[in-house]
Amino acid sequence: MTEPYAVPVPKGYRVGGWEVRGPIATGAFGSVYEGRRTGADESLPRTVALKFLPTGTGTPRQLTHLRELVDREIELHRRLRRPHLIRMYETLTVDDPGRPGLDGATVLVLEKAEGSLSALLATRPRPDGGPVLLAQVCEGLAQLHRAGWVHGDLKPANVLLMKDGSARLADFNMAAELEGTHAYTPAFSTPDYTPPELLWAEIGERGRRIRPSADVWAFGVLAHLVLTGSFPLPGGTPTARRDAAVAYARGTDELRLSPELPDAWREIVRGCLTRTYADRFGTEALLRRVEAAAGTSRSRRLPRLLARPVRPSRPLLVLGASAATVAVAALGYGISVWAGAAATDNGTDNRTTATATTATTATAYGASELRTDRGIPSAYRLLIVETAHDCDQGDVTPPLIAAMLKAESNFDPDLSDPAKDEYGIARWTPSVLRWWMHEDGTPGESVPEPPFPPAESIPAMGRYLCWIAPRLDSSLPGDRRVLIAAAYRTSYAKVNDAAGVPPKYRDYAGRVAHYLKEYTPPGRK
Amino acid sequence: MYSIIVVPPPTTENERHRPQHRLAPGERLTFGRSARDNDLCIAHDGVSRKAGEIGAQGVFWTLSNLCSHQTYVVENPEGAGEHIKVGPGRLDAPVPFEFSRIVLPAAGDLLAVEVWAPRHDYLRTEGGPDGDTTAPAFSVDRSKRYFAVLAALCEPRLRGAPHAPLPTVDQVVDRLRPGWPGASRTSVQWNIDYLAVKLRLKPGPETAESGPRLNGKKESLVSLALRFDLVREDDLVVLTEPSGRIAR
Repeated sequence: MTEPYAVPVPKGYRVGGWEVRGPIATGAFGSVYEGRRTGADESLPRTVALKFLPTGTGTPRQLTHLRELVDREIELHRRLRRPHLIRMYETLTVDDPGRPGLDGATVLVLEKAEGSLSALLATRPRPDGGPVLLAQVCEGLAQLHRAGWVHGDLKPANVLLMKDGSARLADFNMAAELEGTHAYTPAFSTPDYTPPELLWAEIGERGRRIRPSADVWAFGVLAHLVLTGSFPLPGGTPTARRDAAVAYARGTDELRLSPELPDAWREIVRGCLTRTYADRFGTEALLRRVEAAAGTSRSRRLPRLLARPVRPSRPLLVLGASAATVAVAALGYGISVWAGAAATDNGTDNRTTATATTATTATAYGASELRTDRGIPSAYRLLIVETAHDCDQGDVTPPLIAAMLKAESNFDPDLSDPAKDEYGIARWTPSVLRWWMHEDGTPGESVPEPPFPPAESIPAMGRYLCWIAPRLDSSLPGDRRVLIAAAYRTSYAKVNDAAGVPPKYRDYAGRVAHYLKEYTPPGRK
Repeated sequence: MYSIIVVPPPTTENERHRPQHRLAPGERLTFGRSARDNDLCIAHDGVSRKAGEIGAQGVFWTLSNLCSHQTYVVENPEGAGEHIKVGPGRLDAPVPFEFSRIVLPAAGDLLAVEVWAPRHDYLRTEGGPDGDTTAPAFSVDRSKRYFAVLAALCEPRLRGAPHAPLPTVDQVVDRLRPGWPGASRTSVQWNIDYLAVKLRLKPGPETAESGPRLNGKKESLVSLALRFDLVREDDLVVLTEPSGRIAR
């Protein structure tokens, strides 16, 4: 592309201990130049990439969203250092009132790459080594996802190739840390790499909800492009390909991948480009397949992979879906004895590893958090435990959800109470369930009709509880979990107004409190 | 994943909350007098039993005139008289407007079916029209009325008071009237509702029981527009320029 540089910087310009050399690339938000070290600090490399982002007040187009994007990138670099993610050495701010276009710009001092995947793809003939490269990209994604982040803008221009031939992910402006099963990213994307569910997704005040599966879709597009030179969806323009993606996602069109694609990769690309996010490969399952297809060795790394057990983030998926995902889940829970031995290279990432759960059978699922001898039907244990885990609010626990289901319906999945307009195991009122029925937070197109099976009712209940928890006044007296339950019955506003459980709901709250105690294992809150 | 919205002519019952039919690319909607043969029944004796069909293509739509003797006119209400004619029997005529009004002549009355195409894309200054550039998920037409309404809503905060109260609908009407003499509460309101659709605003859970509350909607629109720089300070000129277009 021959577009003007977003941030023009003259050759020889000094910033911090660096001197600007030639331009490398420019993007939608900033420009990258080669930098040469002028300082004596031998711990820094001789040449780096200097990314200039126009955050100053004198820049021609003052962009408020840019600050947010820059902060995201810096935050990720500060918190994560992984072999397949490009490294950041320092950040600088330009102080140069004489140049209003540069004054106040943020400069990211980054590891310098030899080139990008998009430049490599532009060369003819197509270079060999695509599969190995893809395996490295996938490893980078896995490193990001394991640390609890989503990239949000994976595409060839954001895959950098190093001198030693290795690939690293870069450009973390859209990256976001997961909160439960999803993260919020600014509403920006690159159309050809955007999964269909995000194309016209609703946007809330915190931005757009995105899951790791969005990166998995982008990886599928990238793999198809690297291996065949064409996009997986047909069309001569991005708009045509977007329409094709929509038609495919709606089921009116089939996926027709290039015949050039080798069989092993065909299966991988199909597993990435599924119509719905829930059917897509999980990142670990994807990585295993990609490494097998690329012939890159894996055994050496296995213990490290399992350092952090993979949590099945979607109970519905585990119950009903592909064997591959179930296998990952089982693996994560079954071999957690390795967790202690190998948790050494976590770098600056200090997310706690999941608690060791040795039981894999339904009857003892989550036994460390939810008692197994108090009559909680084992069929719902996995749903209850995973629903609680999907919420980042500490008060939404497995015992709370179990206690509420007991108090609401006595675990009756077929409960039907037309007089009160409440149905199912969680006593959902249809017009309220509508707002919580979808995992991505979008309301249903219309008010749903009962029956509401537990696999829908319980996760929806978890989402609602998770929304209620931070809205209750922190000064209210009493057990917060019981307050959350009361708010589920009435509303968080009524509980706040009553400064506690409203009299009408004391009986219900008392029952929840009783079962909370019953279901909580000894020694836990 | 809809790309087209069809709003039938108002009837006495639904004048305040007109139903909307959302069509995804590839979906079709037939309309006419017969309730049995059509997806959308237009109960007027002057309308053919099977009057026509709307097909959502990508971001645009097509109109088939199934009537044997009448020409339908598709107007662009913000287009200073811009319109296209679709003759009897014409199938799948493409319609390029973001807002359209299909005018059906019906025994002396003119019935208007509105069709919105909120997914139109516009060139951005930041990059070319290729699928490789990271781009905002919104695309707005700065020459449309809705943009002037959005600018008026954002104005106090863009002028440097980050927590300024938002203008009321009446204040927006007053602000826009010099350049848009036909501005009224209803038309401003209509544009606010359209913006919520256009920007794919997530309805808040507080709308569950009591129906949408306008204040929350305005607040969300403004915070979204400012966060993603949909309206910048130099865009405020749209508030003072006479538009010279026909009032909606």
